[in-house]
Amino acid sequence: MQRDVGSLPLSPALRVRLLAAGFQTAQELLETGPCGLSKEIGISKEEALEALQVVRQECAGDAAKTAGGSGSTRKCTALELLEEEQAQGFIITFCSALDNILGGGVQLTKITEICGAPGVGKTQLCMQLAVDVQIPECFGGVAGEAVFIDTEGSFMVDRAADIAAACVQHCQLIAEAHQEEDHLKALENFSLESILSHIYYFRCRDYIELLAQVYLLPDFLSEHSKVRLVVIDGIAFPFRHDFEDLSRRTRLLNGLAQQLIIIANDHKSAVVLTNQMTTRFGQNQSTLVPALGRCSAFALCMTSLLFGMGSKKQ
Amino acid sequence: MVVLRAGLCPGLTEEMIQLLRANNIRTVVDFVSSDLEDVAQNCSLSYKALVAVRRVLLAQFSAFPSNGADLYEELKSSTAILPTGNPSLDQLLDAGLYTGEVTELAGAPGSGKTQVCLSIAASVSLGLRQHVFFLDSTGGFTASRLYQMLQARVEDKEEQLEALQRVQLVRVFDIYEMLRALHEVRDCLSQQVESSAGPLKAVLIDSVSAVLSPLLGGRQSEGVAIMMQLARELKTLAKEFSVAVVVTNQVTRDSSTGALKSALGRSWSFVPSTRVLLQGRAAPWEESTAPHTACLAKSPRQPTGMQVQLDIGSDDLQEQRPVTPTP
Repeated sequence: MQRDVGSLPLSPALRVRLLAAGFQTAQELLETGPCGLSKEIGISKEEALEALQVVRQECAGDAAKTAGGSGSTRKCTALELLEEEQAQGFIITFCSALDNILGGGVQLTKITEICGAPGVGKTQLCMQLAVDVQIPECFGGVAGEAVFIDTEGSFMVDRAADIAAACVQHCQLIAEAHQEEDHLKALENFSLESILSHIYYFRCRDYIELLAQVYLLPDFLSEHSKVRLVVIDGIAFPFRHDFEDLSRRTRLLNGLAQQLIIIANDHKSAVVLTNQMTTRFGQNQSTLVPALGRCSAFALCMTSLLFGMGSKKQ
Repeated sequence: MVVLRAGLCPGLTEEMIQLLRANNIRTVVDFVSSDLEDVAQNCSLSYKALVAVRRVLLAQFSAFPSNGADLYEELKSSTAILPTGNPSLDQLLDAGLYTGEVTELAGAPGSGKTQVCLSIAASVSLGLRQHVFFLDSTGGFTASRLYQMLQARVEDKEEQLEALQRVQLVRVFDIYEMLRALHEVRDCLSQQVESSAGPLKAVLIDSVSAVLSPLLGGRQSEGVAIMMQLARELKTLAKEFSVAVVVTNQVTRDSSTGALKSALGRSWSFVPSTRVLLQGRAAPWEESTAPHTACLAKSPRQPTGMQVQLDIGSDDLQEQRPVTPTP
């Protein structure tokens, strides 16, 4: 069965011309060939060739899949997925109450959002996670690297160094208590310098830089395949001020959310976002709710952590 | 609008096509709607040949009407009603999901759309022993939750694992991938490939708004075109292969009345034949004990406005409590 021309990923202008000329299925396009195509709809031969290549890729992709090839499809049965999920690791937070709520820790391949009032500890938690993701497997960690995208400028390197030193010390204590071979070997590579050198830090000052960074992230991640955590500290900040067109903001956020889901899924990493709080005025009282709207794109699939305000930082 | 090509039907030769093109007749519609005597004169072609070609083209490309009685018989024999696994939802949907139709579940984040989809998948796969195709665009499908639901319904481990195997999951994060995946399903079904998609009865898509909302809005009309392309794929899939298609959607607030309504606009509202609006607790951190409710927003069979209470968290799901400040 043939693919409809309207469902192929071609540019809008090209699609309009093809439909006006009467082409309906991908097969007809391939039969016409580049010269015929360029004459029919009045585009240059190079453009026709490019378009036909896209069409050929789509149709070849379809054929390969129906013939049973797997390629890079994200297709599996629920049983296979269950086995994968049960074998998946968590990124522990070193706070047992938090780990309990999350069901073991921050989950890989999912998006987790942390909302809270200013000063409650969101950035601290993110820094802790960036260190915890690097814990070697024999100590119960995932032995991955971290990407830290900072939009508010709140990342303090000395604080991160303190956290890293404490983590190394903790692991050393465990190793001394158990005295196992692989523990000691893993500890050789697990030091302050190695931890800090495996946190990849990006600073984005406005929403365009943030979007660009997220859209370029897959290339970065394919070069650094050990990354298991992507932290975006302050997802709301660049989008909250200076935006006249709110529907455009929603569209951009939706696109961003999808891109993050793709990253989380394809690279098997956890994506952690921090969000600000805003006030919703009700009839008699006002409540604190996460920013960017209740129906925000990110709320589609992720776990949300909320911090009580003014309390001890849990 | 099919372009006239040599070999489209016997009697349509290349020279004929060139002569017709010179007279501005490029597609089948142009040919069939033009006056053949004029065409015969202008193109210096034989009138008889043109009439013969027209007859064949009409036979090939026109749609044939069928009468109501035949349609009814066909529907009676091909339609099945799939139970959703939730008795109150079944009541709302007039006994369950009808194959051959597109049903929509709309709700705010956290209202239970993915849970209801998982429940439908569990019920169809376990109860009816049919294959289920799940297109996930949000990353919200957790096999462990599906397993939990199956465990709550049946004790035998073998059956649970078999039911899990009948649920096929495809992750698509972009509209073109979704169209490609749907096309693949159609191919499999039409070729009767038993191994991958056996007796497929339900296709669940969670969610449609995730892949369409980045394209809609603003000044571009491209988004609506692609949305309608998707709508066409879904409806053809449902009708031709007698499959129940379930989609999930977001909600927005109606600007005039302030009530909740399904997202994706007016054009999309014509696509599903049944629409259910799910409402959960106001927000996960607000301590409220109101259960999830489902309200019928559009239906060809039941009165709209019907509301039932849904019991979503009954399968031992641990409620996630928010961190409350310690005194």
